[in-house]
Amino acid sequence: MPETILETKGLTRRFGGLTAVDAVDMVMRPGELVGLIGPNGAGKSTFFNCLTGFYPPSEGEVRFLDKPITGLKPFQVAKMGIGRTFQNLRIMPNMTVFDNVSIGAIGSLGHSLRRALWPFNCLTDNEISQRTWDILARVGLDSLSSELAANLSYGKRKYLEIARALATDPKLLILDEPAAGLNEQETEQLADFIQKLNREGLPILLVEHDMGLVMGICQRVMVLALGKKIADDTPEAVQQHPLVLEAYLGGEECQY
Amino acid sequence: MTDNKLVSHSVRANLLVLGLLALVLGVVPGVLSFLGKSYYMQVANSALIYCVVAASMNLITGTAGLMCLGHAAFFGIGAYTAALLNTHFGLPFLLTLPLGGVAAGLAGVLVALPTMRLISIYFAVATLGVGEIVHVTLLNWVSLTRGPMGMQIYEPITIFGHQFTGLLSIYYVIAVLACVSIYLLWRMNHSYFGNALRSVREDDQCAEAMGISVVKLKIQAFAASTFFTGLAGAVLAHSAGYISPDSFQFSESILILTMVVVGGLGSLPGSILGALLLILLPEVARGLGDMRNVAVGVVMFLSILLLPKGIFGEVSAIEVARKLFNSAWDGRNAVGWK
Repeated sequence: MPETILETKGLTRRFGGLTAVDAVDMVMRPGELVGLIGPNGAGKSTFFNCLTGFYPPSEGEVRFLDKPITGLKPFQVAKMGIGRTFQNLRIMPNMTVFDNVSIGAIGSLGHSLRRALWPFNCLTDNEISQRTWDILARVGLDSLSSELAANLSYGKRKYLEIARALATDPKLLILDEPAAGLNEQETEQLADFIQKLNREGLPILLVEHDMGLVMGICQRVMVLALGKKIADDTPEAVQQHPLVLEAYLGGEECQY
Repeated sequence: MTDNKLVSHSVRANLLVLGLLALVLGVVPGVLSFLGKSYYMQVANSALIYCVVAASMNLITGTAGLMCLGHAAFFGIGAYTAALLNTHFGLPFLLTLPLGGVAAGLAGVLVALPTMRLISIYFAVATLGVGEIVHVTLLNWVSLTRGPMGMQIYEPITIFGHQFTGLLSIYYVIAVLACVSIYLLWRMNHSYFGNALRSVREDDQCAEAMGISVVKLKIQAFAASTFFTGLAGAVLAHSAGYISPDSFQFSESILILTMVVVGGLGSLPGSILGALLLILLPEVARGLGDMRNVAVGVVMFLSILLLPKGIFGEVSAIEVARKLFNSAWDGRNAVGWK
């Protein structure tokens, strides 16, 4: 078993003169449920995109399961075992629920032209189907499998996106603002679901704008502000941290 | 799902396939040779060829969402490759046919490599440029292609020493090729490979984040699509016996695109219906005289207004494909695609 799931060393990303992520170090250990919070514009999404290969980092290193993944393309990162969801829901509206989820399984098990032309059942295709059905049952979407994704309610689409990420058979799941747009009751259900996934042994990094969900379920919370990591501790300790209070509520002077 | 229902589904699927094959290989040639008008037979031949072209273009434009405005170029590359290899090197039909496809497929890959990072309108304009390049080359490289005079292929289609000279026998060659090509395109559309292509159309970044190598996938799809278009071009050259750059110009690309859109983007049966409609309608409307092309235009216009998803839309096409050919779809432990 690797000692760390995810590790960044001095991760930096600049856009022109703006340093969106500034030398961030972090470590995630197996089985952890870590929250990443920060006010608007703190660099959460950029950090996220550097982890998943969407932006190559300007400096620094990302290691996943003790292997360097810095500069890999998104599909390579996904194949290595990082599953992700998107901040603003990105489902495939003109495909059925089953087909949406199958994309995750196809991504990790591979697609091939040769297999498409082979007119008989083949093991990989069966595995894709089987895994898709299993995940659909796990998130409770199996009864809607042949519905078009566009016809789902907003809450169901959230689960569809998580299901698709789970179908990649991730070793680490990164959720980008999963609670955005959900009401209190739905957020609570989602929190239970995330905790359940984590208890089954899946490490989860939860990127959230809003404190509520993160403080409730995470074992550890990292806070970003203006691109820098300003705190990394238990939820209780983070809530008392002076720099965090300053970043969220505004201090007398801002010095970073 | 009960076994009974499973059986009845696969029976219906087999009946449908047999019925279609009987129609294409039995009823249509039977009726046409009974009518005895060679012109009708030629229309049927070109309708079948365009079915393949539209179905192959549907793979990239409908299923993978890459709007291609230069598809006629690959049609032309296939046709001219076959014609040149046959007239200059005397290669037989059995070689010129796959080589026509391969040449178009290679050209497709060459076009795809630099353009695969382009999306939507940018990709469309890039392929438009490629279409123009090929057309102008065919038109002006007189020493090779005889330019606007076109090329004549004197040798009839010959397979293992048997010459296919009669219109009916040529029809059968085309029909068999069309059935095989469309079956293979069907497999590509209705499989997890097809799902991956659709995901690229719906949201390429998201597909990439799920582990799908979008560029590789697009190149594969483009190569497959242009291969079948080239194959159709080679068949056209041999069956018509004459080709000219006119048949591969921009308006032809638009005609193919219209077939796919009118039939239903992403739907393989739709693109076949679209091809049949746009090839047969002008013939049916022949009685209208000068108003013929106006009538065709009106039908196209109305079909897009009234049926924006096409005559046979993608969603229903996939549903039919699943219900009939993947009978276990409803079952709990079923497979998504056979």
